Amino acid sequence: MRRSKFGWLRGVGIVVLLLWSLFPVYWALNTSLMTNAEAQSSTPHFFPTHFQFSNYEAIFGIGPSSASTAGGIGRAVVNSSIESLGATLLTVVIAVVGAYAFARLRFRFRGPLFYVVLATLTLPVYATLIPIYEILTHLGLVNTYLGIILVYTSGFLPLAMWIMYNMFQALPVSIEEAATIDGASTLQTFRSIVLPLVRPGMAATAIITFLFGWGQFIFPLVLGSTNSTEPLTVALSALAGRHVVPYTMINAAAIVAIAIPAVIVFCLNRWIVDGIVAGSVK
Amino acid sequence: MRRSRRDIALPYAMVAPLLVFIGALALYPTVLTAYGAFVHNDALDPPNHFTGFGNFQSVFSNPQVRQSLENTGLYVVFGVLLSVGLGTFFALLLQRRFRGRGIILALMVLPWALPGVVEGVIWSWIYDPTFGVLNSTLKSVGVISQYQLWVGTHQIESIFFISLVQVWQITPLAAILVLASMQAIPGELYEAASVDGARGWTLIRRLTLPLVRPALAIAVVEGLVMSLNIFDQVYVLNAGATNASSLMTETYQIAFNDLNFGQGYALSLLATVTTIVLSLLAVRFIYRKVEF
Repeated sequence: MRRSKFGWLRGVGIVVLLLWSLFPVYWALNTSLMTNAEAQSSTPHFFPTHFQFSNYEAIFGIGPSSASTAGGIGRAVVNSSIESLGATLLTVVIAVVGAYAFARLRFRFRGPLFYVVLATLTLPVYATLIPIYEILTHLGLVNTYLGIILVYTSGFLPLAMWIMYNMFQALPVSIEEAATIDGASTLQTFRSIVLPLVRPGMAATAIITFLFGWGQFIFPLVLGSTNSTEPLTVALSALAGRHVVPYTMINAAAIVAIAIPAVIVFCLNRWIVDGIVAGSVK
Repeated sequence: MRRSRRDIALPYAMVAPLLVFIGALALYPTVLTAYGAFVHNDALDPPNHFTGFGNFQSVFSNPQVRQSLENTGLYVVFGVLLSVGLGTFFALLLQRRFRGRGIILALMVLPWALPGVVEGVIWSWIYDPTFGVLNSTLKSVGVISQYQLWVGTHQIESIFFISLVQVWQITPLAAILVLASMQAIPGELYEAASVDGARGWTLIRRLTLPLVRPALAIAVVEGLVMSLNIFDQVYVLNAGATNASSLMTETYQIAFNDLNFGQGYALSLLATVTTIVLSLLAVRFIYRKVEF
Protein backbone atom coordinates (compact mmCIF):
# COMPACT_ATOMS: atom_id res chain seq x y z
CA MET A 1 0.00 0.00 0.00
CA ARG A 2 1.14 3.52 -0.80
CA ARG A 3 2.63 5.58 1.98
CA SER A 4 0.36 8.55 2.61
CA LYS A 5 1.45 11.93 3.83
CA PHE A 6 -0.29 10.97 7.06
CA GLY A 7 2.58 8.61 7.86
CA TRP A 8 4.27 10.94 10.34
CA LEU A 9 0.91 11.83 11.87
CA ARG A 10 0.31 8.20 12.63
CA GLY A 11 3.77 7.95 14.12
CA VAL A 12 2.95 10.77 16.52
CA GLY A 13 -0.38 9.09 17.28
CA ILE A 14 1.33 5.83 18.15
CA VAL A 15 3.74 7.58 20.50
CA VAL A 16 0.70 9.14 22.23
CA LEU A 17 -0.97 5.71 22.40
CA LEU A 18 2.10 4.11 23.98
CA LEU A 19 2.68 6.91 26.47
CA TRP A 20 -0.96 6.86 27.50
CA SER A 21 -1.08 3.07 27.88
CA LEU A 22 2.24 2.51 29.59
CA PHE A 23 3.33 5.64 31.45
CA PRO A 24 1.15 5.13 34.58
CA VAL A 25 2.46 1.58 35.01
CA TYR A 26 6.02 2.69 34.32
CA TRP A 27 5.67 5.46 36.84
CA ALA A 28 4.48 3.04 39.53
CA LEU A 29 7.38 0.70 38.76
CA ASN A 30 9.82 3.61 38.84
CA THR A 31 8.48 4.85 42.18
CA SER A 32 8.51 1.36 43.69
CA LEU A 33 12.28 1.15 43.10
CA MET A 34 13.03 4.55 44.65
CA THR A 35 13.77 5.61 48.17
CA ASN A 36 11.12 7.73 49.79
CA ALA A 37 13.32 10.82 49.66
CA GLU A 38 13.86 10.46 45.95
CA ALA A 39 10.15 9.91 45.25
CA GLN A 40 9.38 13.16 47.06
CA SER A 41 11.91 15.36 45.29
CA SER A 42 10.50 18.46 43.62
CA THR A 43 11.85 17.64 40.16
CA PRO A 44 10.49 14.41 38.74
CA HIS A 45 13.04 11.57 38.53
CA PHE A 46 12.15 9.51 35.50
CA PHE A 47 14.66 6.81 36.47
CA PRO A 48 15.48 5.64 40.00
CA THR A 49 19.04 6.73 40.91
CA HIS A 50 19.48 4.19 43.72
CA PHE A 51 17.88 1.12 42.25
CA GLN A 52 16.73 -0.84 45.33
CA PHE A 53 14.13 -3.41 46.37
CA SER A 54 13.56 -2.46 49.99
CA ASN A 55 9.94 -1.47 49.27
CA TYR A 56 9.18 -4.96 47.99
CA GLU A 57 10.95 -6.53 50.94
CA ALA A 58 8.90 -4.36 53.27
CA ILE A 59 5.48 -5.27 51.87
CA PHE A 60 6.31 -8.96 51.98
CA GLY A 61 7.52 -8.62 55.53
CA ILE A 62 11.20 -9.26 54.80
CA GLY A 63 14.05 -7.14 56.14
CA PRO A 64 14.31 -4.31 58.65
CA SER A 65 11.63 -1.91 57.37
CA SER A 66 8.90 -4.56 57.48
CA ALA A 67 7.11 -2.83 60.33
CA SER A 68 3.41 -3.16 60.98
CA THR A 69 2.81 -0.42 58.41
CA ALA A 70 2.75 -2.88 55.54
CA GLY A 71 2.96 -6.64 55.27
CA GLY A 72 0.10 -9.02 54.58
CA ILE A 73 0.60 -8.62 50.84
CA GLY A 74 1.95 -12.16 50.53
CA ARG A 75 -1.19 -13.62 52.03
CA ALA A 76 -3.30 -11.41 49.77
CA VAL A 77 -1.48 -12.69 46.68
CA VAL A 78 -2.26 -16.27 47.75
CA ASN A 79 -5.91 -15.35 48.40
CA SER A 80 -6.29 -13.61 45.04
CA SER A 81 -4.76 -16.59 43.26
CA ILE A 82 -6.98 -19.17 44.97
CA GLU A 83 -10.12 -17.16 44.37
CA SER A 84 -9.39 -16.26 40.74
CA LEU A 85 -8.19 -19.73 39.76
CA GLY A 86 -11.07 -21.46 41.56
CA ALA A 87 -13.63 -19.25 39.88
CA THR A 88 -11.94 -19.65 36.49
CA LEU A 89 -11.95 -23.44 36.66
CA LEU A 90 -15.57 -23.65 37.76
CA THR A 91 -16.72 -21.02 35.27
CA VAL A 92 -15.02 -22.55 32.25
CA VAL A 93 -16.24 -26.09 32.93
CA ILE A 94 -19.84 -25.06 33.55
CA ALA A 95 -19.90 -22.56 30.68
CA VAL A 96 -18.42 -24.92 28.09
CA VAL A 97 -20.82 -27.75 28.91
CA GLY A 98 -23.85 -25.45 29.04
CA ALA A 99 -22.91 -23.48 25.94
CA TYR A 100 -22.53 -26.66 23.91
CA ALA A 101 -26.02 -27.82 24.87
CA PHE A 102 -27.45 -24.42 23.93
CA ALA A 103 -25.51 -24.24 20.67
CA ARG A 104 -26.03 -27.76 19.37
CA LEU A 105 -28.60 -29.89 21.20
CA ARG A 106 -32.36 -29.70 20.88
CA PHE A 107 -34.52 -29.68 23.94
CA ARG A 108 -37.71 -28.13 25.22
CA PHE A 109 -37.44 -24.56 26.56
CA ARG A 110 -34.01 -24.19 24.98
CA GLY A 111 -34.83 -20.73 23.57
CA PRO A 112 -36.36 -19.21 26.71
CA LEU A 113 -33.66 -20.65 28.99
CA PHE A 114 -30.95 -19.33 26.68
CA TYR A 115 -32.40 -15.82 26.74
CA VAL A 116 -32.72 -15.91 30.51
CA VAL A 117 -29.01 -16.68 30.79
CA LEU A 118 -28.13 -13.97 28.28
CA ALA A 119 -30.38 -11.45 29.98
CA THR A 120 -28.30 -11.76 33.14
CA LEU A 121 -25.38 -10.33 31.13
CA THR A 122 -27.07 -6.95 31.39
CA LEU A 123 -27.45 -7.09 35.18
CA PRO A 124 -25.18 -4.56 36.87
CA VAL A 125 -23.44 -5.18 40.20
CA TYR A 126 -26.16 -3.19 41.96
CA ALA A 127 -28.80 -5.79 41.18
CA THR A 128 -27.19 -8.49 43.28
CA LEU A 129 -24.74 -6.92 45.75
CA ILE A 130 -26.82 -6.55 48.92
CA PRO A 131 -28.85 -9.79 48.50
CA ILE A 132 -25.69 -11.80 47.84
CA TYR A 133 -24.25 -10.44 51.06
CA GLU A 134 -27.43 -11.47 52.87
CA ILE A 135 -27.56 -14.90 51.24
CA LEU A 136 -23.91 -15.66 52.03
CA THR A 137 -24.28 -14.44 55.59
CA HIS A 138 -27.28 -16.71 55.94
CA LEU A 139 -25.30 -19.70 54.59
CA GLY A 140 -22.28 -18.93 56.76
CA LEU A 141 -20.11 -18.40 53.67
CA VAL A 142 -18.87 -14.89 54.49
CA ASN A 143 -15.08 -14.88 54.94
CA THR A 144 -14.65 -18.15 53.06
CA TYR A 145 -12.94 -18.93 49.76
CA LEU A 146 -15.94 -21.03 48.73
CA GLY A 147 -18.34 -18.10 49.15
CA ILE A 148 -16.19 -15.78 47.06
CA ILE A 149 -15.60 -18.40 44.37
CA LEU A 150 -19.33 -19.11 44.07
CA VAL A 151 -20.14 -15.41 43.76
CA TYR A 152 -17.43 -14.80 41.15
CA THR A 153 -18.55 -17.83 39.16
CA SER A 154 -22.17 -16.73 39.03
CA GLY A 155 -21.05 -13.29 37.88
CA PHE A 156 -18.68 -14.51 35.15
CA LEU A 157 -20.84 -17.37 33.80
CA PRO A 158 -23.12 -15.39 31.46
CA LEU A 159 -20.20 -13.82 29.55
CA ALA A 160 -18.21 -17.08 29.52
CA MET A 161 -21.24 -18.96 28.22
CA TRP A 162 -21.77 -16.32 25.52
CA ILE A 163 -18.13 -16.44 24.37
CA MET A 164 -18.20 -20.25 24.22
CA TYR A 165 -21.59 -20.25 22.50
CA ASN A 166 -20.15 -18.07 19.72
CA MET A 167 -17.10 -20.32 19.47
CA PHE A 168 -19.32 -23.40 19.04
CA GLN A 169 -21.48 -21.57 16.51
CA ALA A 170 -18.37 -20.86 14.45
CA LEU A 171 -17.61 -24.59 14.08
CA PRO A 172 -19.03 -26.35 11.02
CA VAL A 173 -21.81 -28.77 12.04
CA SER A 174 -20.69 -31.31 9.44
CA ILE A 175 -17.85 -32.64 11.63
CA GLU A 176 -20.27 -33.54 14.40
CA GLU A 177 -22.78 -34.99 11.93
CA ALA A 178 -20.10 -37.26 10.51
CA ALA A 179 -19.23 -38.48 14.01
CA THR A 180 -22.89 -39.17 14.78
CA ILE A 181 -23.30 -41.15 11.56
CA ASP A 182 -20.26 -43.19 12.56
CA GLY A 183 -22.17 -44.17 15.68
CA ALA A 184 -20.65 -41.84 18.27
CA SER A 185 -22.97 -40.75 21.06
CA THR A 186 -23.59 -37.09 21.81
CA LEU A 187 -21.25 -37.17 24.78
CA GLN A 188 -18.52 -38.96 22.83
CA THR A 189 -18.76 -36.44 20.02
CA PHE A 190 -18.62 -33.57 22.49
CA ARG A 191 -15.67 -34.95 24.38
CA SER A 192 -13.41 -36.29 21.68
CA ILE A 193 -14.35 -34.24 18.59
CA VAL A 194 -15.70 -30.86 19.65
CA LEU A 195 -13.71 -30.05 22.78
CA PRO A 196 -10.27 -30.31 21.12
CA LEU A 197 -11.50 -27.96 18.37
CA VAL A 198 -12.59 -25.21 20.78
CA ARG A 199 -9.48 -25.32 22.95
CA PRO A 200 -8.43 -21.82 21.84
CA GLY A 201 -11.89 -20.54 22.75
CA MET A 202 -11.65 -22.17 26.16
CA ALA A 203 -8.25 -20.57 26.67
CA ALA A 204 -9.66 -17.15 25.78
CA THR A 205 -12.59 -17.65 28.16
CA ALA A 206 -10.30 -18.84 30.95
CA ILE A 207 -7.90 -15.90 30.54
CA ILE A 208 -10.63 -13.29 30.54
CA THR A 209 -12.36 -14.93 33.51
CA PHE A 210 -9.11 -15.05 35.46
CA LEU A 211 -8.41 -11.37 34.79
CA PHE A 212 -11.92 -10.46 35.96
CA GLY A 213 -11.38 -12.51 39.10
CA TRP A 214 -8.02 -10.87 39.77
CA GLY A 215 -9.59 -7.42 39.50
CA GLN A 216 -12.67 -7.98 41.69
CA PHE A 217 -13.08 -5.43 44.43
CA ILE A 218 -16.55 -4.60 45.71
CA PHE A 219 -17.72 -8.17 46.31
CA PRO A 220 -14.68 -9.25 48.36
CA LEU A 221 -14.77 -5.87 50.11
CA VAL A 222 -18.29 -6.63 51.26
CA LEU A 223 -17.96 -10.40 51.72
CA GLY A 224 -14.83 -10.46 53.87
CA SER A 225 -14.35 -8.71 57.15
CA THR A 226 -11.04 -10.31 58.07
CA ASN A 227 -7.86 -10.62 56.02
CA SER A 228 -8.14 -14.42 55.85
CA THR A 229 -9.81 -14.20 52.42
CA GLU A 230 -8.89 -10.64 51.49
CA PRO A 231 -7.62 -10.45 47.89
CA LEU A 232 -4.85 -8.14 46.72
CA THR A 233 -7.26 -5.44 45.56
CA VAL A 234 -8.82 -5.06 49.01
CA ALA A 235 -5.45 -5.29 50.75
CA LEU A 236 -4.01 -2.63 48.43
CA SER A 237 -6.85 -0.20 48.97
CA ALA A 238 -6.52 -0.68 52.73
CA LEU A 239 -2.79 -0.03 52.47
CA ALA A 240 -3.36 3.12 50.40
CA GLY A 241 -6.04 4.28 52.81
CA ARG A 242 -3.67 4.18 55.77
CA HIS A 243 -1.89 7.49 55.37
CA VAL A 244 1.25 6.44 57.20
CA VAL A 245 2.36 4.02 54.50
CA PRO A 246 4.90 5.64 52.15
CA TYR A 247 3.92 5.91 48.53
CA THR A 248 6.99 3.98 47.41
CA MET A 249 5.68 0.95 49.30
CA ILE A 250 2.14 1.37 48.03
CA ASN A 251 3.45 1.48 44.48
CA ALA A 252 5.47 -1.69 45.10
CA ALA A 253 2.27 -3.43 46.20
CA ALA A 254 0.50 -2.07 43.10
CA ILE A 255 3.26 -3.48 40.88
CA VAL A 256 2.78 -6.88 42.54
CA ALA A 257 -0.90 -6.69 41.62
CA ILE A 258 -0.02 -5.58 38.08
CA ALA A 259 2.64 -8.22 37.44
CA ILE A 260 0.38 -11.21 36.81
CA PRO A 261 -2.12 -9.49 34.48
CA ALA A 262 0.80 -7.87 32.65
CA VAL A 263 2.51 -11.22 32.01
CA ILE A 264 -0.81 -12.68 30.84
CA VAL A 265 -1.45 -9.77 28.48
CA PHE A 266 2.00 -9.94 26.89
CA CYS A 267 2.13 -13.72 26.53
CA LEU A 268 -1.48 -14.53 25.71
CA ASN A 269 -2.56 -11.37 23.92
CA ARG A 270 -3.94 -13.04 20.80
CA TRP A 271 -6.50 -15.02 22.82
CA ILE A 272 -7.63 -12.02 24.80
CA VAL A 273 -8.43 -10.06 21.68
CA ASP A 274 -10.26 -13.06 20.19
CA GLY A 275 -12.23 -13.56 23.39
CA ILE A 276 -13.26 -9.91 23.61
CA VAL A 277 -14.44 -9.95 20.02
CA ALA A 278 -16.30 -13.26 20.46
CA GLY A 279 -17.96 -11.91 23.59
CA SER A 280 -19.35 -8.89 21.80
CA VAL A 281 -20.71 -10.00 18.43
CA LYS A 282 -24.36 -9.26 17.59
CA MET B 1 -34.77 -43.08 15.29
CA ARG B 2 -36.03 -43.43 18.83
CA ARG B 3 -34.20 -41.36 21.37
CA SER B 4 -33.41 -43.09 24.63
CA ARG B 5 -34.39 -41.51 27.92
CA ARG B 6 -30.72 -40.77 28.53
CA ASP B 7 -30.46 -38.76 25.31
CA ILE B 8 -33.50 -36.72 26.23
CA ALA B 9 -32.17 -35.97 29.71
CA LEU B 10 -28.64 -35.12 28.56
CA PRO B 11 -29.19 -31.49 27.42
CA TYR B 12 -30.93 -30.65 30.69
CA ALA B 13 -28.11 -32.19 32.67
CA MET B 14 -25.64 -30.11 30.67
CA VAL B 15 -27.35 -26.76 31.26
CA ALA B 16 -28.40 -27.52 34.84
CA PRO B 17 -25.25 -26.25 36.64
CA LEU B 18 -25.37 -23.03 34.62
CA LEU B 19 -29.03 -22.49 35.44
CA VAL B 20 -28.59 -23.30 39.13
CA PHE B 21 -25.80 -20.74 39.48
CA ILE B 22 -27.59 -18.04 37.57
CA GLY B 23 -30.88 -18.77 39.29
CA ALA B 24 -29.45 -18.78 42.80
CA LEU B 25 -26.89 -15.99 42.58
CA ALA B 26 -28.18 -13.69 39.82
CA LEU B 27 -31.94 -13.96 39.31
CA TYR B 28 -32.99 -14.69 42.88
CA PRO B 29 -30.89 -11.80 44.27
CA THR B 30 -32.33 -9.49 41.63
CA VAL B 31 -35.84 -10.40 42.75
CA LEU B 32 -34.78 -9.77 46.36
CA THR B 33 -33.48 -6.33 45.34
CA ALA B 34 -36.74 -5.48 43.59
CA TYR B 35 -38.69 -6.59 46.65
CA GLY B 36 -36.32 -5.08 49.22
CA ALA B 37 -36.65 -1.63 47.65
CA PHE B 38 -40.18 -1.44 49.07
CA VAL B 39 -39.39 -2.71 52.55
CA HIS B 40 -38.17 -0.62 55.47
CA ASN B 41 -34.95 -2.41 56.46
CA ASP B 42 -32.68 -0.39 58.71
CA ALA B 43 -30.37 -2.16 61.15
CA LEU B 44 -30.50 0.87 63.44
CA ASP B 45 -34.31 1.14 63.33
CA PRO B 46 -35.98 -2.31 63.37
CA PRO B 47 -38.32 -4.02 62.68
CA ASN B 48 -38.68 -4.43 58.92
CA HIS B 49 -42.01 -3.56 57.38
CA PHE B 50 -43.52 -2.81 53.99
CA THR B 51 -43.15 0.89 53.23
CA GLY B 52 -44.29 1.38 49.65
CA PHE B 53 -42.22 4.13 48.09
CA GLY B 54 -40.89 5.23 51.46
CA ASN B 55 -37.30 4.24 50.70
CA PHE B 56 -37.38 6.11 47.41
CA GLN B 57 -38.73 9.23 49.12
CA SER B 58 -35.96 9.04 51.70
CA VAL B 59 -33.15 8.62 49.20
CA PHE B 60 -34.41 11.38 46.93
CA SER B 61 -34.65 13.81 49.81
CA ASN B 62 -31.07 13.00 50.77
CA PRO B 63 -28.81 15.73 49.29
CA GLN B 64 -25.83 13.36 49.14
CA VAL B 65 -27.80 10.94 46.99
CA ARG B 66 -28.86 13.77 44.70
CA GLN B 67 -25.25 14.88 44.44
CA SER B 68 -24.17 11.33 43.54
CA LEU B 69 -26.87 11.11 40.84
CA GLU B 70 -25.60 14.31 39.27
CA ASN B 71 -22.00 13.09 39.57
CA THR B 72 -22.86 9.77 37.95
CA GLY B 73 -24.38 11.65 35.01
CA LEU B 74 -21.02 13.40 34.58
CA TYR B 75 -19.11 10.12 34.94
CA VAL B 76 -21.24 8.69 32.14
CA VAL B 77 -20.74 11.69 29.84
CA PHE B 78 -16.96 11.79 30.35
CA GLY B 79 -16.61 8.00 30.35
CA VAL B 80 -18.55 7.32 27.17
CA LEU B 81 -17.26 10.26 25.11
CA LEU B 82 -13.62 9.86 26.05
CA SER B 83 -13.40 6.06 25.88
CA VAL B 84 -15.22 5.77 22.56
CA GLY B 85 -13.42 8.77 21.07
CA LEU B 86 -9.98 7.66 22.15
CA GLY B 87 -10.72 4.01 21.33
CA THR B 88 -11.77 4.94 17.79
CA PHE B 89 -8.62 7.06 17.40
CA PHE B 90 -6.44 4.12 18.50
CA ALA B 91 -8.31 1.75 16.18
CA LEU B 92 -7.69 4.12 13.25
CA LEU B 93 -3.99 4.22 14.11
CA LEU B 94 -3.80 0.44 14.08
CA GLN B 95 -6.12 -0.18 11.14
CA ARG B 96 -3.40 -0.78 8.55
CA ARG B 97 -0.82 -3.50 8.94
CA PHE B 98 2.67 -2.36 9.80
CA ARG B 99 5.70 -3.82 11.47
CA GLY B 100 5.31 -3.95 15.25
CA ARG B 101 1.52 -3.57 15.20
CA GLY B 102 0.99 -6.79 17.15
CA ILE B 103 3.25 -5.60 19.97
CA ILE B 104 1.59 -2.19 20.11
CA LEU B 105 -1.82 -3.88 20.31
CA ALA B 106 -0.60 -6.03 23.21
CA LEU B 107 0.76 -2.99 25.03
CA MET B 108 -2.47 -1.09 24.40
CA VAL B 109 -4.56 -3.86 26.03
CA LEU B 110 -2.60 -3.70 29.31
CA PRO B 111 -4.74 -1.10 31.16
CA TRP B 112 -7.87 -3.11 30.40
CA ALA B 113 -6.42 -6.16 32.16
CA LEU B 114 -5.54 -4.36 35.40
CA PRO B 115 -7.74 -4.18 38.50
CA GLY B 116 -9.63 -0.88 38.84
CA VAL B 117 -8.37 -0.46 42.39
CA VAL B 118 -4.75 -0.76 41.31
CA GLU B 119 -5.35 1.84 38.63
CA GLY B 120 -6.91 4.15 41.19
CA VAL B 121 -3.85 3.72 43.40
CA ILE B 122 -1.21 4.37 40.75
CA TRP B 123 -3.07 7.36 39.30
CA SER B 124 -3.63 8.86 42.74
CA TRP B 125 0.16 8.97 43.05
CA ILE B 126 0.40 10.65 39.64
CA TYR B 127 -2.24 13.20 40.75
CA ASP B 128 -0.66 13.68 44.19
CA PRO B 129 -0.96 17.38 45.21
CA THR B 130 2.51 17.59 46.81
CA PHE B 131 4.71 15.03 45.02
CA GLY B 132 2.72 13.99 41.93
CA VAL B 133 4.41 13.81 38.57
CA LEU B 134 1.48 15.58 36.89
CA ASN B 135 2.06 18.65 39.03
CA SER B 136 5.85 18.61 38.81
CA THR B 137 5.86 18.08 35.05
CA LEU B 138 3.21 20.70 34.29
CA LYS B 139 4.94 23.20 36.54
CA SER B 140 8.38 22.66 35.04
CA VAL B 141 6.90 23.13 31.56
CA GLY B 142 5.11 26.24 32.77
CA VAL B 143 1.50 25.16 32.18
CA ILE B 144 0.61 25.71 35.85
CA SER B 145 2.19 28.23 38.19
CA GLN B 146 1.48 26.30 41.38
CA TYR B 147 0.64 22.72 42.34
CA GLN B 148 -3.02 21.74 41.94
CA LEU B 149 -5.32 19.52 43.99
CA TRP B 150 -6.68 17.68 40.92
CA VAL B 151 -9.12 15.55 42.87
CA GLY B 152 -10.91 17.01 45.87
CA THR B 153 -11.69 20.70 45.57
CA HIS B 154 -13.73 21.33 42.48
CA GLN B 155 -16.60 18.93 41.69
CA ILE B 156 -16.38 18.73 37.90
CA GLU B 157 -12.58 18.72 37.92
CA SER B 158 -12.51 15.88 40.48
CA ILE B 159 -14.97 13.85 38.44
CA PHE B 160 -13.03 14.47 35.25
CA PHE B 161 -9.77 13.24 36.73
CA ILE B 162 -11.34 10.19 38.38
CA SER B 163 -13.21 9.41 35.17
CA LEU B 164 -9.95 9.63 33.25
CA VAL B 165 -8.64 6.68 35.26
CA GLN B 166 -11.63 4.59 34.25
CA VAL B 167 -11.29 5.78 30.65
CA TRP B 168 -7.72 4.53 30.79
CA GLN B 169 -9.11 1.13 31.73
CA ILE B 170 -11.94 0.80 29.21
CA THR B 171 -10.48 2.52 26.13
CA PRO B 172 -8.67 -0.67 24.97
CA LEU B 173 -12.00 -2.49 24.92
CA ALA B 174 -13.55 0.17 22.65
CA ALA B 175 -10.43 0.16 20.47
CA ILE B 176 -10.47 -3.62 20.03
CA LEU B 177 -14.17 -3.71 19.18
CA VAL B 178 -13.85 -0.92 16.61
CA LEU B 179 -10.61 -2.32 15.19
CA ALA B 180 -12.12 -5.80 14.71
CA SER B 181 -15.01 -4.19 12.88
CA MET B 182 -12.68 -2.09 10.68
CA GLN B 183 -10.78 -5.18 9.65
CA ALA B 184 -13.99 -6.77 8.40
CA ILE B 185 -14.44 -3.95 5.86
CA PRO B 186 -13.57 -5.30 2.39
CA GLY B 187 -10.47 -3.69 0.89
CA GLU B 188 -12.23 -3.07 -2.44
CA LEU B 189 -14.37 -0.43 -0.77
CA TYR B 190 -11.25 1.57 0.05
CA GLU B 191 -9.87 1.06 -3.44
CA ALA B 192 -13.11 2.24 -5.00
CA ALA B 193 -13.25 5.25 -2.69
CA SER B 194 -9.66 6.26 -3.38
CA VAL B 195 -10.25 5.94 -7.14
CA ASP B 196 -13.07 8.42 -6.58
CA GLY B 197 -10.53 10.73 -4.99
CA ALA B 198 -11.44 10.29 -1.31
CA ARG B 199 -8.46 10.80 1.02
CA GLY B 200 -7.57 10.93 4.69
CA TRP B 201 -10.22 12.45 6.86
CA THR B 202 -12.95 12.27 4.19
CA LEU B 203 -12.32 8.56 3.80
CA ILE B 204 -12.57 8.03 7.56
CA ARG B 205 -15.69 10.12 7.96
CA ARG B 206 -17.60 8.94 4.90
CA LEU B 207 -16.55 5.32 4.68
CA THR B 208 -14.89 3.87 7.79
CA LEU B 209 -16.99 5.38 10.59
CA PRO B 210 -20.41 4.60 9.06
CA LEU B 211 -19.34 1.01 8.46
CA VAL B 212 -18.14 0.43 12.03
CA ARG B 213 -21.30 1.87 13.51
CA PRO B 214 -22.43 -1.40 15.15
CA ALA B 215 -19.08 -1.73 16.90
CA LEU B 216 -19.31 1.89 18.04
CA ALA B 217 -22.75 1.08 19.45
CA ILE B 218 -21.35 -1.80 21.47
CA ALA B 219 -18.47 0.37 22.67
CA VAL B 220 -20.96 3.06 23.76
CA VAL B 221 -23.02 0.50 25.70
CA GLU B 222 -19.92 -0.94 27.36
CA GLY B 223 -18.75 2.54 28.34
CA LEU B 224 -22.22 3.40 29.59
CA VAL B 225 -22.52 0.33 31.79
CA MET B 226 -18.99 0.71 33.16
CA SER B 227 -19.35 4.41 33.97
CA LEU B 228 -22.82 4.04 35.49
CA ASN B 229 -21.30 1.42 37.78
CA ILE B 230 -18.06 3.26 38.54
CA PHE B 231 -16.92 2.30 42.03
CA ASP B 232 -13.28 1.17 42.42
CA GLN B 233 -11.65 4.33 41.08
CA VAL B 234 -13.96 6.59 43.06
CA TYR B 235 -13.50 4.54 46.22
CA VAL B 236 -9.72 4.91 46.02
CA LEU B 237 -9.36 8.45 44.64
CA ASN B 238 -12.24 10.13 46.41
CA ALA B 239 -11.72 8.46 49.78
CA GLY B 240 -13.44 10.47 52.47
CA ALA B 241 -14.72 13.28 50.29
CA THR B 242 -18.23 13.31 48.90
CA ASN B 243 -18.08 15.82 46.09
CA ALA B 244 -17.19 13.19 43.49
CA SER B 245 -19.22 10.30 44.94
CA SER B 246 -20.88 8.01 42.42
CA LEU B 247 -24.22 6.25 42.66
CA MET B 248 -22.37 3.02 43.44
CA THR B 249 -20.20 4.48 46.22
CA GLU B 250 -23.26 6.17 47.68
CA THR B 251 -25.20 2.89 47.61
CA TYR B 252 -22.28 1.14 49.30
CA GLN B 253 -22.16 3.89 51.90
CA ILE B 254 -25.87 3.69 52.69
CA ALA B 255 -26.05 -0.11 52.74
CA PHE B 256 -22.77 -1.10 54.36
CA ASN B 257 -21.77 1.92 56.45
CA ASP B 258 -25.16 3.29 57.49
CA LEU B 259 -26.59 -0.27 57.43
CA ASN B 260 -29.80 0.92 55.81
CA PHE B 261 -30.45 -1.97 53.44
CA GLY B 262 -33.93 -0.72 52.48
CA GLN B 263 -32.57 2.52 51.02
CA GLY B 264 -29.63 0.62 49.55
CA TYR B 265 -32.08 -1.65 47.76
CA ALA B 266 -34.08 1.32 46.47
CA LEU B 267 -30.95 2.90 44.97
CA SER B 268 -29.84 -0.47 43.58
CA LEU B 269 -33.16 -1.05 41.88
CA LEU B 270 -33.10 2.44 40.43
CA ALA B 271 -29.57 1.94 39.10
CA THR B 272 -30.35 -1.50 37.70
CA VAL B 273 -33.39 -0.27 35.80
CA THR B 274 -31.48 2.79 34.54
CA THR B 275 -28.57 0.64 33.33
CA ILE B 276 -30.83 -1.73 31.42
CA VAL B 277 -33.05 0.98 29.91
CA LEU B 278 -30.13 3.17 28.81
CA SER B 279 -28.31 0.16 27.31
CA LEU B 280 -31.37 -0.81 25.31
CA LEU B 281 -31.90 2.78 24.14
CA ALA B 282 -28.26 3.12 23.10
CA VAL B 283 -28.46 -0.10 21.11
CA ARG B 284 -31.69 1.01 19.48
CA PHE B 285 -30.50 4.46 18.47
CA ILE B 286 -26.96 3.78 17.41
CA TYR B 287 -27.03 0.20 16.25
CA ARG B 288 -27.99 -0.29 12.67
CA LYS B 289 -27.00 -3.37 10.78
CA VAL B 290 -24.45 -2.61 8.09
CA GLU B 291 -24.47 -4.50 4.80
CA PHE B 292 -21.35 -4.56 2.65
